[in-house]
Amino acid sequence: MATALLPAPPVRWARSPFYFNSAAHLLRIEREKATTLGELLAALRSVPSESIFQHTFRTLQEHHFIREGFSNDYAHWAFAACNEVGLAERLASVDVREFTSVETLRERIVQIVQDYLERNPRATDRAATEPFYFCASDAVVVPTPFVARNLVEFRDCLNQVSIHCIHYHFIEARLRLKLNSNDFSVWLESELDMGRIADQFNRIDIYTSTLQDVRRIMVRVIERALHSQA
Amino acid sequence: MDPRKDQAEKSVAEQRRSEVITEQPVEAPPRNGGSEAPAAPFRERRKRPRISETPPAAPPPPKLDDYEPIIGKPELDELRFLARPLRGKTVKMVNSTSLGGGVAEMLNRLIPLLGELEVVTRWDVITGGNDFFEVTKAFHNALHGGEYVLTKEARDIFLMYNEQNRQRMQFTEDLFVIHDPQPLGLIRSRERNRGKWMWRCHIDLSNPHPDVWGFLRPMVEEYDATVFSSPAFSRQLLAPQYLFFPCIDPLSEKNKELDASYIQKVCDDFGIDRSRPIVTQISRFDRLKDPVGVIQAYKLAKKYVDCQLVLAGGGATDDPEGAIVLQEVMDAAGEDPDVIILNLPPWSALEINALQRASTVVVQKSLKEGFGLTVTEALWKGKPTIAGAVGGIPTQVIHKLTGVLVHSIEGCAYQIRYLLTHPEFAEQMGKNGREHVKENFLMTSNVKRWLLLFQILLGMVKKEKTT
Repeated sequence: MATALLPAPPVRWARSPFYFNSAAHLLRIEREKATTLGELLAALRSVPSESIFQHTFRTLQEHHFIREGFSNDYAHWAFAACNEVGLAERLASVDVREFTSVETLRERIVQIVQDYLERNPRATDRAATEPFYFCASDAVVVPTPFVARNLVEFRDCLNQVSIHCIHYHFIEARLRLKLNSNDFSVWLESELDMGRIADQFNRIDIYTSTLQDVRRIMVRVIERALHSQA
Repeated sequence: MDPRKDQAEKSVAEQRRSEVITEQPVEAPPRNGGSEAPAAPFRERRKRPRISETPPAAPPPPKLDDYEPIIGKPELDELRFLARPLRGKTVKMVNSTSLGGGVAEMLNRLIPLLGELEVVTRWDVITGGNDFFEVTKAFHNALHGGEYVLTKEARDIFLMYNEQNRQRMQFTEDLFVIHDPQPLGLIRSRERNRGKWMWRCHIDLSNPHPDVWGFLRPMVEEYDATVFSSPAFSRQLLAPQYLFFPCIDPLSEKNKELDASYIQKVCDDFGIDRSRPIVTQISRFDRLKDPVGVIQAYKLAKKYVDCQLVLAGGGATDDPEGAIVLQEVMDAAGEDPDVIILNLPPWSALEINALQRASTVVVQKSLKEGFGLTVTEALWKGKPTIAGAVGGIPTQVIHKLTGVLVHSIEGCAYQIRYLLTHPEFAEQMGKNGREHVKENFLMTSNVKRWLLLFQILLGMVKKEKTT
């Protein structure tokens, strides 16, 4: 039986291509360290914003392979070194993607620790089993050779870029954009009018997925869209 | 007379007599004077493996492209991109030895890779008489918190040899990386050039002897940047301090992939039964590694789970205390044929690699530790790892995520039991551990860190505003 070939769907071309970048980070050791939760709270108020970025956004990248049980360094320290499970849970529930500036993220973390210590004053000066060392991150943007002008090229690039590139565009981006979104979704919506895919990307849970999972989910969403177009 | 003690003493004495080390593995000698047949057939088959009697020639260092199957092309491209602005810049690295020790081992790998990236790097080694190295050894111990009386003579010897080296060396490069305290005084050459100076401190300065640190600190303060292996090892300094984790080379003899047949052969040679669980600690025979504690933990665990214990390491030949500790370990092992004690020569990297890969669980129950690169090696091999929560180990072992941290013999015993009876959990933790090393503790990560630091110090990059 002869099969008539379906006409290929028209390819939607972006007016501006998507240039995939990545970021390289160098860790600086800050002067502050905390041996109690009280000291942590004091330092949280004064450390440079690059330090808050390191212990939240950046640590998520450093531990991108962990699917559950790791959120940020403050939560981990409260649990592992201070044995304050309630505080650890609350700190771990802070989703960096709800913040478009590190300063508002700092305020949220300070608020959580402050509230906890007000309710549990004895925890303020209890010595931790090991200190919390504040670090900060110097970031340098690194361009990659990957460029996409349509959805197929975008999927192919996504399959090849490093997970650092995915973190840069998908997680760190909101600090640059000052939007509750990411570079991928913004481009898909504005350049290819694919708001639905953009929304699906924004709903990916980065706290129960590794960055490789995030890549796989995004590719799957795109392939489904390409399939339905065909 | 105790035949075990007799044999161990004889073995150690023989080794010490030998000018060229012809050390063969010393395993626990036959129990019961060798009169009774051992319980396990593997014990009967145990023999002395064919380890070279002299160090084999070092294989050529790997090329950058050799790392592609491990870290991926995008990562290599990133290194090349970061190196591009540094092409034509020159770097000098200075340390105190070209052979032996972790720093020399690391530089032997780092410098060819930087060269391949066209960042021309020259490696100089400072020279000095015995008096200099006696002083720097004493400084090293004092910086780790040991007792010491700093004399004017020691200060003068340190400064004199640093000055001699400074006069001998040329300082025409753009960047200078001085490793550890021995060549710290070379910073005085800073006046003669406009290069940027970095001090890479590989040792733990958390509790230094105040006089020694007071003497060295003014020199450290003259550097443009300092680099430490852990925040816990650093001091409050004026210059920015960076964090470079110690790293392993995934292509070195100790870490490269091995054929299954080779792993089997090493196990056969050592009489290790691969059909039963294998718990291994790789470390020199040193009380700070708590090998006796590991045996006690194994004995507690063995009440509930069948396993063998392999304790493999060196240090019992060139270190008198090592021989004593080895004897203590053999005494603690007693008559148990499932405790396999191996005193290996320093060039047993392939055998160590095979033992780690054959292990079901790896233990590093240190009581005090630097960074703990044996833990890094085990994690890289995807092994569920139980480690003491000391030194740099908690940086690598995130409790229950990339490994498990323990604080006692009982805790170690419990974790051995748990991991041997929960293989899925153990496997997932092993996978996480490998990823953790891939992300943070490989040689290529440190190449990237150096390139970034060089660019930052030379003012070549605009730092991304992430906040």
